[in-house]
Amino acid sequence: MTVDFLMDWFATIGDFPILAFILAVIISGIPLFLLMALNAMVAVYAERKVSAFMMDRIGPMGQGPGLHAGKWGLLQTVADAIKLLIKEDTIPQKSDKLLFKMAPFIIFIGAFLGLAAVPFSSSLQVADFNVGVFYIIAVGSIGVIGIIMAGWSSNNKWSLYGAMRSAAQIISYEIPAGLSIIVPIMMAGTMNLQTMIQFQSGSIWGILPNWIIFNNPFTFLAFFIFFISAVAETNRTPFDIPEAESELVAGWMTEYSGFRWAVFFLSEYSNMLVVSGLAVAGFLGGWQSPIPGMFDSPGWGLFWFMGKVIFLIFVMMWFRWTFPRLRVDQLMHVCWKVFIPIAMFNIFGVGIWKLIIG
Amino acid sequence: MLRDRERILDMFEYTCGARLLYNYMWVGGVSHDLPKDFEKICFGFLDYFEPQIDEYNNLLTYNKIFVERTADVGVIPADVAISYGVSGPNLRGSGVNWDVRKDESYSIYDRFEFDVPVGDGKFGTLGDCFDRYWVRMLEIKESVKIIRQALKDIPSGDVHQALPKKIRPPKGSVYRRTESPRGDLGYYIISDGSPVPSRVKMRSPAFTALSCLDEVSKGWMISDVIAILGSLDIVLGEIDR
Amino acid sequence: MSKYFTNIYETVNTLWTGMRITWRHMIHIKRDNVTLQYPEERWPRPERNIGFDHKDYNVIRSRLHVDIDDCIGCLKCERACPVDCITINTIKAPNRGEDISDIGHTGETSNGTKKAMVVSRFTIDMSECCYCNLCVYPCPEECIFMVGGPNSSKHPIDYEFSQFDRKDLIYQFAKKLTPDQKKTIDDPKPEVEA
Repeated sequence: MTVDFLMDWFATIGDFPILAFILAVIISGIPLFLLMALNAMVAVYAERKVSAFMMDRIGPMGQGPGLHAGKWGLLQTVADAIKLLIKEDTIPQKSDKLLFKMAPFIIFIGAFLGLAAVPFSSSLQVADFNVGVFYIIAVGSIGVIGIIMAGWSSNNKWSLYGAMRSAAQIISYEIPAGLSIIVPIMMAGTMNLQTMIQFQSGSIWGILPNWIIFNNPFTFLAFFIFFISAVAETNRTPFDIPEAESELVAGWMTEYSGFRWAVFFLSEYSNMLVVSGLAVAGFLGGWQSPIPGMFDSPGWGLFWFMGKVIFLIFVMMWFRWTFPRLRVDQLMHVCWKVFIPIAMFNIFGVGIWKLIIG
Repeated sequence: MLRDRERILDMFEYTCGARLLYNYMWVGGVSHDLPKDFEKICFGFLDYFEPQIDEYNNLLTYNKIFVERTADVGVIPADVAISYGVSGPNLRGSGVNWDVRKDESYSIYDRFEFDVPVGDGKFGTLGDCFDRYWVRMLEIKESVKIIRQALKDIPSGDVHQALPKKIRPPKGSVYRRTESPRGDLGYYIISDGSPVPSRVKMRSPAFTALSCLDEVSKGWMISDVIAILGSLDIVLGEIDR
Repeated sequence: MSKYFTNIYETVNTLWTGMRITWRHMIHIKRDNVTLQYPEERWPRPERNIGFDHKDYNVIRSRLHVDIDDCIGCLKCERACPVDCITINTIKAPNRGEDISDIGHTGETSNGTKKAMVVSRFTIDMSECCYCNLCVYPCPEECIFMVGGPNSSKHPIDYEFSQFDRKDLIYQFAKKLTPDQKKTIDDPKPEVEA
């Protein structure tokens, strides 16, 4: 369902390139939006259940459809979504109204555009860029503008604190993330995500799949640097200073209620999806199956990809409910003094490895 | 950790019916006798609880993020602590060896063997938040020891002495302090011979602990104020009264 | 320089230990679950009585109940209450120990004590009550008690008595007397001379 595929199909019908492009983009954008919504609903339910199980309690439960929250609390997310939609839409009086209304949608745009380049399977990718990795990293920075707008226009000094901290955090952590994602680019020799994944086919010594993470110890380290920087990019604990609940009520989201807050929430979870997708594509072999040679069709590819992404999202939730929060200056210390030297060292190491061992 | 606190509160409820505001200590003894199988339940809980302390240590105490947040933060030097009147685990965390149960022993505490944990700058300077936290964790272990010793030797008999309906204390004033989890809880009573005391004042330890917040948190960030406030372990009900 | 690396090593080590603990809690959820799914499951109540003098009194704190036919109007519970939530109005009965049937006043309690007062108002404001049990101990007739437990024969247990309106939590235990009825007690008809 790539845009190219749809354009070719439209070309067989008739010759209307501009309209065909617009139609193709809309038709492939709708499943993306549905995926975002579905991901948010499932991720919220999973987060509540996983956090509950880790704390020896059982989270939202129900006794059957219609009573309480559905069997095992499955209808809880639906109830939450309905509640958010019918809530009153408060806008502070002295706020900058235009910026206030635009901010959630800019963050949403950042997350949505990033989803366009994630390779779900060998034939399921909305746009197969030649500079796929670069595009995702670039589009991920659009969210920062939205956050600063949200914090500034709320006319609330706590929101402003939260927004500035968040902006500093996201911009700082893009550097180790970018430096670490150079490692698979170096290994595979291309920025095209599909080619990178196809590079990871086959196996090492017959048993381990030929994923980039298993290739050499530097790439193993690079995966962890990339993953932790990605967790910091999405403002999740232990890096969730911007939305710290005990320090600044809800950070830059304080003044938002109802549907606008739902949009923030949606974009946070799709951000998680995008960075997990990038990590899986770059390091964990994308849609390649872990047993080399078996279960290789495009249908299975989607299954493996989503399985790995779900596992990484689960690890993000695991981090959230185990660790206390880092203080802001410790966060910056970790980024600039620990991650960036290690990331640069990784690039150096991978280069030497490829030169000597090939 | 709150699960275990719930089990303790359930034991309180089993004994006297209320969880937190039990009306258990009466003049002349206690109000109810312990239930018959209380010893079994209590020892069962203690045996379950001691390994949990190690689990909490692994999960939180040695966690590098937690140590970074609390070590070297909010240092109360020993002389500042004494001048403000801070007492209890807060004072012991700053290195001063003062425990009312040992120094001005009351009730039957001199019959038990237990150590007094004192902070020693394990992961940073002496008297920081981590020391106060660490003193409290060690006190959990000491309390378990005391409870075991107490339950083993408990004698049987009446729990409440028969008292006259109206107690007429002699004229004068008295101040006694006990060791509460927050510090020195003191009561000052002035009586003029009638059954109703003319003045009762309660000296609350959390009040003095909160009073040193201003000096201690100078120069630290907002996130640190939360760590300091948590480590001082205040109860606002005691402060507001 | 070496401190830099030991820092990193310590961090990874302790964080990994912490993660293992939460993983263990997660997979053992069926064994370790502590949530009670109220209202389908309820925590069992301690069924004990207090012991020593009052074998019928309850340890559990539940709703207060008064057997008004046993109350002799001594006002001990009203004085004992620390928050003053019990209000009792009594009228002196004309003849001690005699039944006054038109207002439903029995002359003797179930323990055999003759009543000298007619209780015209016995109000307990449960929204003020602090459940301290201090009104239960002084009652000489054991007529005010917390329901349930050893008292289940007199009154079944009830601890879920929340109401929508605060006024519904003020419990009236005495039978309401009209002003005429009050006058008949104060000023009985003189005996007819034979």
